[in-house]
Amino acid sequence: MDLFLQYLANGVVVGSSYVLVAVGLTLIFGILHVVNFAHGEFYMLGGYAGITASTAFGLPLPVSLAVVAAVSCLLGLGAEALLHRGLKNQDQTSSIIASFGLAVALQNAVMVTMGPQPELMHTELAYKAIELGPVFLPAPRALIPPAMLIIVGALFAALRWTWTGRSLRAMAQHETVARLCGVKVRRVAVITFMLGATLAGVAGFMMSAVYMVHPLVGNMIVLKAFIVVIIGGMGSPLGAAAAGLLLGVIESMTSAYLTNGLRDVVGFLLVIAVLLFRPQGLFGRSLERS
Amino acid sequence: MTRAALITLAILAVGFVAAPFLLGGYELNVLMVALLYVILAVGLNLATGYCGQFSFAQGAFYGIGGYTAGILSRDVGTGFWMNLPAGIVVTGLFGLALGLPALRLKGHFLAIVTIAVQTLVYLGLVQWNSLTGGQNGLAVPPIGETTLFGVRLFEVSSLRDLYWVALVMAAVFVFVAWRLVHSRLGREWVAVREDETLAGAVGLNTTFAKLTAFVASAAFAGGAGVLNAHAMQGVTPDDFQIWISCMVVAMMVVGGRGTFMGPILGAIALTILPELTGELARYKMLIFGVLLVVCVTVAPEGALGRIRKARENREQAASTPAPAKDPSEASA
Repeated sequence: MDLFLQYLANGVVVGSSYVLVAVGLTLIFGILHVVNFAHGEFYMLGGYAGITASTAFGLPLPVSLAVVAAVSCLLGLGAEALLHRGLKNQDQTSSIIASFGLAVALQNAVMVTMGPQPELMHTELAYKAIELGPVFLPAPRALIPPAMLIIVGALFAALRWTWTGRSLRAMAQHETVARLCGVKVRRVAVITFMLGATLAGVAGFMMSAVYMVHPLVGNMIVLKAFIVVIIGGMGSPLGAAAAGLLLGVIESMTSAYLTNGLRDVVGFLLVIAVLLFRPQGLFGRSLERS
Repeated sequence: MTRAALITLAILAVGFVAAPFLLGGYELNVLMVALLYVILAVGLNLATGYCGQFSFAQGAFYGIGGYTAGILSRDVGTGFWMNLPAGIVVTGLFGLALGLPALRLKGHFLAIVTIAVQTLVYLGLVQWNSLTGGQNGLAVPPIGETTLFGVRLFEVSSLRDLYWVALVMAAVFVFVAWRLVHSRLGREWVAVREDETLAGAVGLNTTFAKLTAFVASAAFAGGAGVLNAHAMQGVTPDDFQIWISCMVVAMMVVGGRGTFMGPILGAIALTILPELTGELARYKMLIFGVLLVVCVTVAPEGALGRIRKARENREQAASTPAPAKDPSEASA
């Protein structure tokens, strides 16, 4: 039982990073109908920006976080121009191919500049730990779930109660009507991409103190995020949040009680089951899948 | 097929036949890889270009073909000529298995489920140690001597011989694709792509059409996979990751999906071009990624798709009575 709680806590930590990546991905998909394959690279570059700022330049963590957010916003700006504005009036599969190209370009740009060796962020936090009964977590891990809760909570509040949030939701419902009602589509698109990139970048930053970051780390992350988005229901941020935690916990339990080899497989099996039996996702409402 | 396409095909054929007499080992090897990608891209084009069913699982089928060859060689001791039909059939069956759930999904939902299948196959190859040899993969014997009823026909020993096998196989697969596309079945695929509801309403069996498209496209990849396994004398899971699938999709899209020659030219161009970067080889994949973004942005219908569109526009302009022209436009 004690170990069970420890596995649960580990699952929640990893799941929290999935939530941050997947919520951004599902926003970009739900609002702009862009399938962003380069989302894992936002995570990867967030990790690298954080390591460069905190380890190479020795900046304190809050400043590093600001650097990560700034870099991510710039990335989001560029990605929007390429994947959304650049592909206006094209079918949605074009965005898959273009974002795949962007992902390859970003990975190899990092490979050329930073080298292929994995890096870890070193902070003084790593020597502290939190013990809650039988659960033992090093501080860099323990900080991730509360940080995720704060960020996602703030995001949902903003979506619910601010005018920007309202225009984002209006766009998700019907682009033409939103435009007629005076929503600035271009501004919404840029904000959505910036939000998505920042969420993923912050996740990459926080996780870089837990797992090594390397130029290809985004590959698996983006696939995991797609799993989460499908299980949660495409375009549903709340579904993505719930499904992200769920996937993290399921993976942790699978590797603990079955075998570690199945850890990465279980999510894909879940996706196929969900698409076969409940294609709108566990939390999705829309039934139209075409 | 138009005359232009036939001429292009003839030029390509002459070039590929002449290559072994003119080029060295490295260049020949690149051309052989290009031929494998031609089979993959032409196969994918059947499902995606003609039938409109997006698939990111071509790399997985490529791998299934290769592993079928590897497992058969190891456990049964069969050679290339037995493994080839076996690989094609097994991969076709996997294509059917992917087609079944895919029937319910369209557009990017379908694309994502094929991505999930692709990744599952990769992870399966890594994890199922006893069958696939895990991360180390399997050794596959070379093609070697070919005998028929005890009579020695020919021997495939050098790279040059392998190249000929690849060229003949690619030619056969391209011919089969051409026959398929121009058959009744091929027209049904196009009907499903253009309007599935209408195709069903006029009495076409859309389920059958979609499943056959998936099976055919997977079977092509299976054939290429068997040849690749015997040519490389081994298979490892890392050769069949999602990036191979994306590469094949890119080849098809850049060439022009739904055109016959497009994927062939795309596969050849995208295999050869990165090899020409020379001193920039460090930036090979970076350049590839940027090119892909630019291509999709500038010409989403692909090079040949764009040419075809321009021709259609011209024909339409010629067949309709010319509108009264603006004098400034006429002088230009």
